[in-house]
Amino acid sequence: MTSAFIFGLLIALMLTGMPVSIALGLTVLTFLFVMTHVPIEAVALKLFTGIENFEIMAIPFFILAGNFLTHGGVARRMIAFARTMIGHWPGGLGIAATIAAALFSAVSGSSPATVVAIGSIMLPAMLAIGYPRRFAAGIIVTGGALGNLIPPSIIMVLYAVATSGAVYLGPEGQKVSSASVGQLFIAGVVPGMILAIMLSATTWYRAWKNDYKRIPKATWGERWYAFKDSAWGVSLILVVLGGIYAGWFTPTEAAAVSAVYAFLIEMFIYKDMKWSGVPKVLLASANMSAMILYIVTNAVLFSFLMTSEQIPQTMADWITGSGINWITFLLLVNLLLLLAGNVMEPSSITLIMAPILYPIAVKLGINPIHFGIILVVNMEIGMCHPPVGLNLFVASGIAKMGMTELSIAVLPWLITLLIFLGLVTYIPEMSLWLPRLLGMM
Amino acid sequence: MFLRILDRLEETIIASLIAGATLLIFVAVVQRYALGVSWLYPIFYNINLTWAQELCIYMFVWMAKFGAAYGVRTGIHVGVDVAVNMLQPKARKRVVMFGLFCGALFTFVVGTMGAKFIIGLYPTDQVSPDLELPRWIIFMCVPLGSYLMCFRFLQVAWKFWHTGHLPHTDESEVEGIEVETPVRGPAR
Repeated sequence: MTSAFIFGLLIALMLTGMPVSIALGLTVLTFLFVMTHVPIEAVALKLFTGIENFEIMAIPFFILAGNFLTHGGVARRMIAFARTMIGHWPGGLGIAATIAAALFSAVSGSSPATVVAIGSIMLPAMLAIGYPRRFAAGIIVTGGALGNLIPPSIIMVLYAVATSGAVYLGPEGQKVSSASVGQLFIAGVVPGMILAIMLSATTWYRAWKNDYKRIPKATWGERWYAFKDSAWGVSLILVVLGGIYAGWFTPTEAAAVSAVYAFLIEMFIYKDMKWSGVPKVLLASANMSAMILYIVTNAVLFSFLMTSEQIPQTMADWITGSGINWITFLLLVNLLLLLAGNVMEPSSITLIMAPILYPIAVKLGINPIHFGIILVVNMEIGMCHPPVGLNLFVASGIAKMGMTELSIAVLPWLITLLIFLGLVTYIPEMSLWLPRLLGMM
Repeated sequence: MFLRILDRLEETIIASLIAGATLLIFVAVVQRYALGVSWLYPIFYNINLTWAQELCIYMFVWMAKFGAAYGVRTGIHVGVDVAVNMLQPKARKRVVMFGLFCGALFTFVVGTMGAKFIIGLYPTDQVSPDLELPRWIIFMCVPLGSYLMCFRFLQVAWKFWHTGHLPHTDESEVEGIEVETPVRGPAR
């Protein structure tokens, strides 16, 4: 009854189109005033202390680092690198677009921005050598989907924050500790590489079967030059991963270092940006970070309310009691998240869903790291599947294609993504192998 | 005139806070490693930066509260607009106004709760652990930021009622690349 009221109110408020953060906050307030005896002071304190957590502060830093590198010049360098390496293969230009999009979305942290940056350069290039428009557009939409799997990943930080602190019991009654940002970052590497290979293989197969035109092979000199030029941007990934793994810094410090690093290469090595452009980047990053932190504050209130009403625990008991096993549960989770991915943006979904689903997952014996990776993959697919994935909208503007035609164009890659989701969901070792090998769990 | 000063002040505060926090943590990391280098040790040994982490958190909390108000002005707080955009223009206008007033109401209530909390906190001598700043000063960001945000919601509502225009932030903007991207909203 209580939970029906809470979720009913939340969904009704969200359907009016008001910001998700406001809908969350109003739900909590209404509930407090109408139905409960939780002292209002306890809630007021949460408003202050909700984001007083050094882990969360990685988010503004990563957004800042990404915004410094969300620049056409960075995209061009990554494209040149991918193109000189593999452009001469069948469908090579398309594979190069996928690889460049993977790299660009990893460092920029934004899937729609990747569609614009890579798409507006690669789409004309692909059309010029005679790829069909549908083929080229399909590659562009899905390329950005890799970004959040390859660190630095804001969704992973949010998942770690949303599930940290609480201690839940596993199937045998043992305590299960939540996944850390560092573990999640390392765990994303192998699935990220597998997805890059799978998307490239889809492109390659279709190009090879239809015998699309190839571009001439680049010389080793050209390759070296393109590699050298793009390496500065790409090494941001290595700074973050290596720094955290080697124990040089915590994830938040790694984020701050990567923001300074991104600023330095953009200003002094690539020289794409002038000093006068810096305030604009700072302001845009502060704007985006404040939006996410505001959702975090209200989501903390919301999950505080749910915990005090024992909702996740009750749901976990009910699910385990009803005999649903982890296989069915994960199938349902995937469907729920894919559906949500079409109407809400990833950070809100993560912050609302993770605290609800996580206790159930733990109770069913699913590893917290594995569960986090499943969530991230779902968020990525949600951006590029019809009817209203955000990447489709952005790409339809660049490719000058209608939504219906674009939805058909994207099908081969979308099916690849769904197969990949199935693999990630049901083969935990894909996510857990590397962290275990490195002794991180 | 007053509004323009307020706008600029808001922008300057949040941009400086994010830049300052980034430099602060970067310097703290560099200092920690410089201590390990023997010839740098004499220069750095008496600089104590243990408070850096705490200050960074407070800077970001302040940035988050004022940035959230700025975000209302730029339209970055997005919601689930699929259902609303399917409504008739007249009904849509009412629902959007309702949403904006809910925003104003929520931020007003939070601001008032924050103000009460600070009034209760002021007579106590609670200070933060490392910086030893009075806690009521640190928490001032909640009422200030929330009332500002409330004001911004009303401002946006006023403008929407008269012009039918809602602010919108384009997530897919890339510096150095110019393309027309469609706005995701009722305009399509």
